[in-house]
Amino acid sequence: MGLKLENVSKKFVGKQAVDNISFEVDKPGVFGLLGTNGAGKTTTIRMLLGIIKKDTGEITWNGKPVERKSVNFGYLPEERGVYPKTKIYDQLMYFAQLKGMNKTDADREIKKWAEVLKVQEYLPMQAEKLSKGNQQKIQFMTAIIHNPELIVLDEPFSGLDPVNTEILKNVIIDLVKQGKYIIMSSHQMASIEEFCTDILILNKGKTVLKGNLKEIKETYKANRLELITDKNVDETIKEFNMNIEFSKNNEYSIKIDSEEKAHELLQKLVDNKVQISKFEIKKPTLNDIFIEKVGE
Amino acid sequence: MKDLKTVVGFTIKEMVKRKSFIVSTIIILLIIIIGFNIPNIMKIFNGDDQSSGGSKLLIVDSTNLFEGSLEGLNNMELGYNVQTTTDNLSFDDIKEKINNDEIDEAIIVENNEGTYKLRYIVKDMTMLVSMPQNLMDAINTIYTNLQISKLGLTEEQIQSLTPNFEYSIEQTEEQKVSGNVLAMMMLSIVLFYAIYFCAYQVSSSITTEKTSKIMETLVTSTSPRTIVLGKTIGIGLVGLLQVCVFVAVALISAKLFLEPGTLESVLDMSQMTPYLAVITIIYFILGYFTYALLYALTGSTVSKPEDIQSANTPVALLAVIGFYLSYFTMMNPTSDLNTFAALFPISSPFCMPFRIMMGIASGVEVAISIAILLVTILVIAKVAIKIYSNAILNYGTKMSFKDMIRIYRDKNN
Repeated sequence: MGLKLENVSKKFVGKQAVDNISFEVDKPGVFGLLGTNGAGKTTTIRMLLGIIKKDTGEITWNGKPVERKSVNFGYLPEERGVYPKTKIYDQLMYFAQLKGMNKTDADREIKKWAEVLKVQEYLPMQAEKLSKGNQQKIQFMTAIIHNPELIVLDEPFSGLDPVNTEILKNVIIDLVKQGKYIIMSSHQMASIEEFCTDILILNKGKTVLKGNLKEIKETYKANRLELITDKNVDETIKEFNMNIEFSKNNEYSIKIDSEEKAHELLQKLVDNKVQISKFEIKKPTLNDIFIEKVGE
Repeated sequence: MKDLKTVVGFTIKEMVKRKSFIVSTIIILLIIIIGFNIPNIMKIFNGDDQSSGGSKLLIVDSTNLFEGSLEGLNNMELGYNVQTTTDNLSFDDIKEKINNDEIDEAIIVENNEGTYKLRYIVKDMTMLVSMPQNLMDAINTIYTNLQISKLGLTEEQIQSLTPNFEYSIEQTEEQKVSGNVLAMMMLSIVLFYAIYFCAYQVSSSITTEKTSKIMETLVTSTSPRTIVLGKTIGIGLVGLLQVCVFVAVALISAKLFLEPGTLESVLDMSQMTPYLAVITIIYFILGYFTYALLYALTGSTVSKPEDIQSANTPVALLAVIGFYLSYFTMMNPTSDLNTFAALFPISSPFCMPFRIMMGIASGVEVAISIAILLVTILVIAKVAIKIYSNAILNYGTKMSFKDMIRIYRDKNN
């Protein structure tokens, strides 16, 4: 069950956009598709939506090959777009009908989602009169209005203010609770860490890392110490041959080789009667892992 | 099919709501109504209405050459209210009368050493190069009749002097050509503009969707084929309706504002048969589809509004070549080149209705022409939809002709 990509490749003139990638989204939840600009994320998304054809490999949804005609996925593209001169209600109705809904159902869903996303007052307005963030919420509505089983969200939070980001996050959480399969592509690693159970990192069209996010992070040993003291302890840290990545007002972020060495430093500071308000040994964040995998 | 209906409906709604569409339609309707009222407007400005009996013309015949017979001009329906005088009025006297609005114009008959000179005096001769021909002919006739009447001829002798010839024209070519070139040229021009401008809308509509980045959402909602066909049909229906409204308003205006018989004197209305109307609508639809699909193809290859013009140039050139091929061969409708223009798909929509109007197109010729157009439309549709499907997601620079060929040949696209 779910979405499965096996050995999928796509080549454009002189460029291998996607090179033999495989992954599976076999249970409801959010799957993170990561990569630098030009890594092949959009091509992968377009192939799994059936907009463009793959050169090789298999893409299946619930065991059946994905074809544009046979699937009815939801899609929020990275390129935000609305009909500028058309009323919001009219364009939502247009897309809902194209996705197979009748007018009555479409009207009900438009009103329901407009209330959830707090855009009811904009329904009779032309799209060009809305702020970018509100236009984005309208496009999000277009992606989910027909209640699809699989939803692809490309950079869903970019351009949204904190209030609207929170609204959208709650909607995504609700969709997961309803058993939806969501593929999220984003450069905001914090969002990916917050939502995704599984991830795939692409670099130059190739898979460089994939799997369960928690398990991936488990494989990485602690590499950073965060420390807050009552006095300057630069000299003590240097005695332990540790590299200070950041320091300000006795707040330190220190690169460490091992947890033992961090504890030795702690002991030394205690011995020196330094008051410590924070001592936290940290594992690499997704951001660190991403940079390690795709940074050159 | 349901999606196609949805796209057609949305396209029609978008088109008719557009300010530019509403404004241009109103302006054209006003131009049509004003155009048919030009004779009435001119009458108002000239103060020349039915009640005054036409322009006030004073003929100064101080030598009494016409012996008072010029009053007969009033019975000849020349549009003049003629007064005559034998007073010896000078140019300055006439000028004063014109300035005082006593008369509009005058003719002074002068005896210049045995030859008579007729001086035509008007307030402003900007629009004139000589005395109006009908007035000169009428004066000559009156003078001739006056002189003949002095010869003491019998009624029969007088009648035998008046030519009573019947003129006709015949041709050696077997194809019978009939009709009035003005009407045909008008039909051809109207068809060209209607087809060209409606088709152009398809290109601009597609590029607008690309520039507003809505395309990606759209292609995941329905197939590219449905989008292309839906847009083409929707814009075509609006265009057809618009042309029908223009023609209807023109006919109603002609009926309401023109004097009876005026339109018939310019256009041979007997040629406007229901068959011609149906054929013209069929050629409008087929011609529109040919060019609209070509424009759909070029419109999908650009992503910036400023590139539309250059991308559309090849299609515009084809349309202009097609139109002129049809237009110039109208002068010689029995030529092989005109027959070719009526069959060649880029010119046949502008040419065939004209040949039918002239009565020289056979049923077989019409059927072949329509068949060629249908095949052309199918081929263009196949190529356009394939290239459109792949080009719409290209947001880079304008695609070259080479890129289009590559996309078409790529079996994976």
